[in-house]
Amino acid sequence: MGCCYSGEDGNSREPEETDPLIPHPNPVSKPPNGTEWPTPGVPSPPTDGQALLTSILTKTAQNIIDVSAADSVVMEQHEIMDKARQYSTKLAMLSTSLPQKKALTLPSLTSQPHQVLASDLVPYSDVQQVSKIAAYAYSAISQIKVDAKEELVVQFAIP
Amino acid sequence: MTTAALTAGLERIPDQVGYLVISEDGVLASAGELENDEHTAGVMMQMARTACRFRLSGSTDAPFKRMSVILEDFVYVVTISGQKVFVVKRQNNQHEPVNV
Repeated sequence: MGCCYSGEDGNSREPEETDPLIPHPNPVSKPPNGTEWPTPGVPSPPTDGQALLTSILTKTAQNIIDVSAADSVVMEQHEIMDKARQYSTKLAMLSTSLPQKKALTLPSLTSQPHQVLASDLVPYSDVQQVSKIAAYAYSAISQIKVDAKEELVVQFAIP
Repeated sequence: MTTAALTAGLERIPDQVGYLVISEDGVLASAGELENDEHTAGVMMQMARTACRFRLSGSTDAPFKRMSVILEDFVYVVTISGQKVFVVKRQNNQHEPVNV
């Protein structure tokens, strides 16, 4: 889950994009309900029902971030602009290294579009022949079927 | 090539009844029965794109120069040149020969 940023080292380093924006308001220092803290020398999960429940509760409490309890993060306008600029620079760096999509560009089929479009139409006999071939192909494909020779599911026979 | 130069040639195609010039951004020119026909433009664009993806075995280029959509009375002939798709609607003069 990652560690919490305590903010006590004086903010001397550059904020990274992975830093949590909201500092954890409740660093767990004592278990809830005042029950005993599980001893560090016991790695295995407690078998006792109550202790099991307690361990689940403490784990959940550690993972929950209470947004209402945190100090509201006040970012000034220039900080927001700085962050936005930082992110768009990073994005620009990444997008130049990604390969461009080639599928969108249309290939050029001819340099003489008018000539190609004005040429004679496809002869009727050719169209008839192609239609017949397509009909044969369609008929052949529709006749593809599975020839079941054996049962798929069998009973194990235990001798 | 200016749009006027492109369309002048299309006007002169024998037995044409309309045409479209389409780019990636949309319809550049249209006339006749295809005037303002964005629907046909969209369909033809999609058909042309699909056809361009076919490859004959052992070849890297698109395997055709012109695509013909043949209906009973009309034919749409389509080609691509200089990043533009040209569609011309022509009268279909190819019919079943009559045996006398």
